[in-house]
Amino acid sequence: MPETRRDRAIPRLMACLVGVVVAAGATVAAQTIRVTPMARDGQLFVSFSLADAFNEDIQSAIQSGLPTSFTYDVELRRSVPLWVDRLVNSAQVNATVRYDNLTRRYQVTVTQDGRVAETQVTDDETEVRKAVTEFQRLPLFTTRRLEANAEYYIRVRVRTRPRNTVIAVPWDGVLGSATFTFLPR
Amino acid sequence: MPAVDRGSPPPPLPVPDPARRPLRDNPRLILVWIVLLVVGLVAIVRLADRSAEFAPDFLSEVVLYALTLADLTILVALGFVLARNIIKLVVERRRGLPFARFRSKLVAVLLGMTIIPALLVLFVGSELIRNSASRWFSAPIDEVLTSASAIASDYYQERQSAARRQARALAADLGGLDLGAAGVAAVRARILRVVNERQASLVEVYRLEPPGTTPRAVPVVDVAAPTLPRVGTRAVADRLAEQAAAGQPDVRQVEPLRDGGELVRVAEVVREGGGRATGVVVVSDYLAGALARNSRRVVDAYESYQQLRVLRRPLEGVYLSFFLMVTLLILVSATWMGLYLAKRIVRPIQALAAGAREIGAGHLDHRIEPETRDEFGGLVEAFNSMAAELAASQRRLERSRVDLERTNLEVETRRQYIETILERIATGVISIASDGRVSTVNGAAQRLLGLDDTASGRDVAEVLGRADLAPLAAVVDRGMRGAGAHAGGQEVALSLDGRDVHLAVATTPLPGGDGPAGSVVVLDDVTPLIRAQKVAAWRDVARRLAHEVKNPLTPIQLCAERLRSRFAQAPEPQRQLVQECADTIVQEVESLKLLVDEFSQFARMPAPRTAPSDLNALIADALALYRGLFARVRIEPRLAPALPPVRVDPEQFRRVVINLIDNAIEAFGEGPDGPQGGLVAVATEHDVANGVVRVTVSDDGPGLAEEDQARVFMPYYSTKKRGSGLGLAIVRRIVVEHGGSIEATGNLPRGTRMIIELPA
Repeated sequence: MPETRRDRAIPRLMACLVGVVVAAGATVAAQTIRVTPMARDGQLFVSFSLADAFNEDIQSAIQSGLPTSFTYDVELRRSVPLWVDRLVNSAQVNATVRYDNLTRRYQVTVTQDGRVAETQVTDDETEVRKAVTEFQRLPLFTTRRLEANAEYYIRVRVRTRPRNTVIAVPWDGVLGSATFTFLPR
Repeated sequence: MPAVDRGSPPPPLPVPDPARRPLRDNPRLILVWIVLLVVGLVAIVRLADRSAEFAPDFLSEVVLYALTLADLTILVALGFVLARNIIKLVVERRRGLPFARFRSKLVAVLLGMTIIPALLVLFVGSELIRNSASRWFSAPIDEVLTSASAIASDYYQERQSAARRQARALAADLGGLDLGAAGVAAVRARILRVVNERQASLVEVYRLEPPGTTPRAVPVVDVAAPTLPRVGTRAVADRLAEQAAAGQPDVRQVEPLRDGGELVRVAEVVREGGGRATGVVVVSDYLAGALARNSRRVVDAYESYQQLRVLRRPLEGVYLSFFLMVTLLILVSATWMGLYLAKRIVRPIQALAAGAREIGAGHLDHRIEPETRDEFGGLVEAFNSMAAELAASQRRLERSRVDLERTNLEVETRRQYIETILERIATGVISIASDGRVSTVNGAAQRLLGLDDTASGRDVAEVLGRADLAPLAAVVDRGMRGAGAHAGGQEVALSLDGRDVHLAVATTPLPGGDGPAGSVVVLDDVTPLIRAQKVAAWRDVARRLAHEVKNPLTPIQLCAERLRSRFAQAPEPQRQLVQECADTIVQEVESLKLLVDEFSQFARMPAPRTAPSDLNALIADALALYRGLFARVRIEPRLAPALPPVRVDPEQFRRVVINLIDNAIEAFGEGPDGPQGGLVAVATEHDVANGVVRVTVSDDGPGLAEEDQARVFMPYYSTKKRGSGLGLAIVRRIVVEHGGSIEATGNLPRGTRMIIELPA
């Protein structure tokens, strides 16, 4: 029986769908976030870094002079079997970079839960990358509410703006997490 | 058309009346919805038109998110509306509801006419938007804007570099001077030279107090070029000095001024010979307003262009979402309107169909409320008018039916009345149709003519085809042909089963619309009348005979006795001859006297003087006369007890009984020494059902021939060698004058049975 156009169209359509799914997965997989928690002196310090964040879209957005933000939602959670994990505490870290094409300088503003934590002006792109993607030992939470010897995990979700998609979905972003056992010292 | 029982109209069927829904069926409300929809669409178009003015974050976050959410909501609503109505249509079709298939087709056509063009427009519009977005960007514009921005940026960089070089040179030059109060003049002189040589527009010198790791920058002196407008402030220079004093590298800033110009400021730490920081010098280079504005405008244009490139996909998303929203709104509206129109079209038809079923079921008062004033409303009005006309016609028919039923009932009552009369009267009536077939034969006719129930429907010639009915058939035939007697009648004598029957026959034609519809034959049994006429005639003969015969008998007897006495002395031969002749004459005269006496009795029988009597006692008295008379004859009474009294003349009734017993004994025949032996039974019976007392005298003699059984009661009819033949005639006359009847039948196994019935 000769192959019809419909017979050829269906495999092509399936291949396109598979390609879209794989491409979307690759885009998500290209950006990874590494999380490292550490409890000390009554504080829970969280370090996290976003790898491969400066892709072509982000660079274009920054170079266009648009305020480009990296919003990190940090959640301290405890696993609950057969139920939704309990949210112990949360914090939001936002790093916004704005590039002045006239002076060729970057202005990076880091806020923590809405409070300005740091402002930096530089013309070094490497410093900018580091400033918006690497955060070391941020004292985000206290350990007062943590239970000794209990297992917790830190989940960091980062969203970059401006959005570069045709449709807006509320579940975009990159997720990273790290589990730890709280041992009071 | 199926027959409908109009007598008891069935209860109204549960017709699914298409209920009006106030929200959906209100045209004003629908108009308001349409206006709101148009306003919403206009607002969406206006919003899309102004989308370029929105901030990127607002555009890509709020607007795009809201539009995506709105699109999804409308899409879900559209899916819900479609799924709900499609499921409803499928269910209605499976249930076989009226007009479900028509409504399905109508909805499918309307949806197809709506969805297919909308999807085509959506597809083409999306491609147009994408193509338009791709045409926003072109390589020449990109190159021009990039080059212009680079030129402006390079110029700023150059001015900053120059200011930095001047600041470093000044810092090195001031390193050997005292920045305190004593050295102000020298410092001013140094920087004044730089300003005058137009190597800087503004130079500001700060002294660090106290000198150390975290000193405070204290302004010492500043010199501005005469061309520098007095629009700046010291605050920016103070902050830069503080930053430089704090050890920040590359301290610089571009400060916009109120006149539109800008100051390119660079701070540099002043160090003494030992390397200790003693002050800060801030060198500023003034960029005129037009230059600064143009440079900023070039960069802004470049950035806007690049931002548009960055936001291309969200913008496409916004425009596509706008377009999708409009399309979906149109689709929802068109779908809803299509479904609404389908309902509006089908509902009056459904109502008409339901109304037709109601009318068909006999509910002619069913009406449909018109919902609209359009053609469907006119159709409904026409239906209602038709139903009203049908109801009026039905009422007229009902009245006619009631009148007809009443007339039929009256005719039936009259028919039953006439039929009852015909069945009860003694006159026989035979109706004959125009085709010669017998229509009806009443009971009297059947009894008179010996017909059975199968006579009806058969040809009259066949019914009257028996040989004994031939005289009657001839009369009827003539009557049917109009040649015979009519109402006046004609007497016909028939011999039926050995009985002589005299009938008065009258044949009357039945009038019809176009000629006779048949004939009616009326038969009157005149046999008793004929018989009475004969008896009357015989009585008159007997009376005359008795009168004429009895008078000469006495002279004849006297003459015979005189002859016998005269010839008593005569010679023996003559005397013996005369004696014998005289004896014979005397004997015959005596016989004639007896005969004349019987004739006289028959002719002059007195009227009975009846009184309530005990028949059993009268019969017992009569039987007592025979006790011991006949040795071989056994007379057996079989009298019923508790017989009611009967009004009879006792003397005449005894005579009846004696006559019947004598007749029975004589029937046994005469032996050498009297009657031959036999059994005579006299029985009585009360027939309550017929209201008569029956007296039966039976014997086991030789019996009567069948043809003699009806004639034995006629005068002068006798089967015996001797006798006047008046005995049974007298018996019959007595019985008849008592209102009764007598009948002679055969006795089983042999003999004769005389049955008298008297009213009790």
